[in-house]
Amino acid sequence: MKTLQYFTLVALAASFAGCATVAPTELVNARSAYQLASDGPAQQLEPAELHKAHEALILAENSFRKEPDSYRTKDLAYVAQRKSEQAGALGSIAAAKASKDGANADFQTKQSEIVEQGKKNLSDSEKRTTDAQAENARQAALKSAKDKADADSQMQQAAIAQGKMDLNAAEKRTAETQAELDKQAALKLAKEKADADSQLQQAEIAQGKKDLNDAEKRTADALADLASLASLKEEERGLVLTLSGSVLFRSAEATLLPQAQVKLDQVAKALLAIRARNLIIEGHTDSQGTEAYNQSLSQRRSDAVRDYLVQGGYPADHIQSRGKGEVSPIAKNTSTEGRANNRRVEIVIEREAQLSKK
Amino acid sequence: MKYVSRIGIMLFAVAVAATGIIAGCANAPLRTEASTSGIRAAEEAGAAKVPSASLQLQLAKEELESAKSLAAKGEKVQADSMLRRAEADAELAVTLSHEDAEKSEAMAAVERARQLRKDNQ
Repeated sequence: MKTLQYFTLVALAASFAGCATVAPTELVNARSAYQLASDGPAQQLEPAELHKAHEALILAENSFRKEPDSYRTKDLAYVAQRKSEQAGALGSIAAAKASKDGANADFQTKQSEIVEQGKKNLSDSEKRTTDAQAENARQAALKSAKDKADADSQMQQAAIAQGKMDLNAAEKRTAETQAELDKQAALKLAKEKADADSQLQQAEIAQGKKDLNDAEKRTADALADLASLASLKEEERGLVLTLSGSVLFRSAEATLLPQAQVKLDQVAKALLAIRARNLIIEGHTDSQGTEAYNQSLSQRRSDAVRDYLVQGGYPADHIQSRGKGEVSPIAKNTSTEGRANNRRVEIVIEREAQLSKK
Repeated sequence: MKYVSRIGIMLFAVAVAATGIIAGCANAPLRTEASTSGIRAAEEAGAAKVPSASLQLQLAKEELESAKSLAAKGEKVQADSMLRRAEADAELAVTLSHEDAEKSEAMAAVERARQLRKDNQ
């Protein structure tokens, strides 16, 4: 607006002055300086100072119209230029202040943001620290709980081990007790068995005694029977039952006579009562005939008696037959009676001791 | 008659007063206070260290001396006009000194704010 007024003023001055008058350098510079200031920030920020410059320029222009080339006009134009430059400088100062204030405000805002961010970061950091502390506390609690659980577990393990040891000891004691019971039972069983065996043995002994008595009785009865049947003598080699040869055989024969068989049946019956004793059947002859003949005859006769007794039931393995010939006379062969006595069959009943030795 | 004489007295008094004023002005000492104080203010503002302001300060001093010289020669009116120049240059020197400081501060503030933003992106 002021610029428009100024140009209007300049146009009017030029129309009055005409082309004959040329503005001094100071006035030209003043106009330019004012124009420059009007285009600058002073227009908005320092209008009062720009107005002063405008007033000063008007004074210079008026003076120029009256005294175009006077020192007064030049001085006024000079002052107007300085006023315009000052208005421009003040505008720049105001702009710089505005810029500085804006920058400071920006700085303050940013600083506030930084402070707020710092506070927020600090708060976050404190929260994280608190969280971390809480986490640490939680971890410590967990560790403590774990340690306690481990300790409890160890105690439980120890208790289990102790329990196992106790169990083993109990099992061992049980086993020992069981063993003792088994032992007692075995002892009892053994005792019972021993008692049973003892009773059995007692019974057996009693039975043995009874059997012995019976055997002795039977033996005694048998011996008595044998003694009644023939001559029975107690010798070192055993009981010797002597049967006369004339009763058993014909002369020079080895075949049993019928009456001999009856006698031998009786002898066999008596011997069976005392069986289990070894029998030796010995045949004897007199000295009539050759020795070899007598030997053979005595052997055949003893064999005949043995075979008959075996047929009668006496065990064959308990009977031996021996031909003694004429070598063992019991009487002199010089007489008939003596030779008759020498012709004989002896049944030697060995003693039990001799039997057991064999 | 009284009326005429009263007017005559008044005209006389005005004439005397005008003569006195004109005579006083012609003989009054050169008023350099404004220029001197302006130059001192510019110097205190540090105009000597600011190139543009330093020039204005120097001009102001030379113009003050020129005014004094003119006054000494009896060119009182021209001396007063020269003092206006000195005053204008001194004031401009002060303003330019402030402008330089303000621009430096503004640039520093802008740079500080820019650096702060850069450092905290």
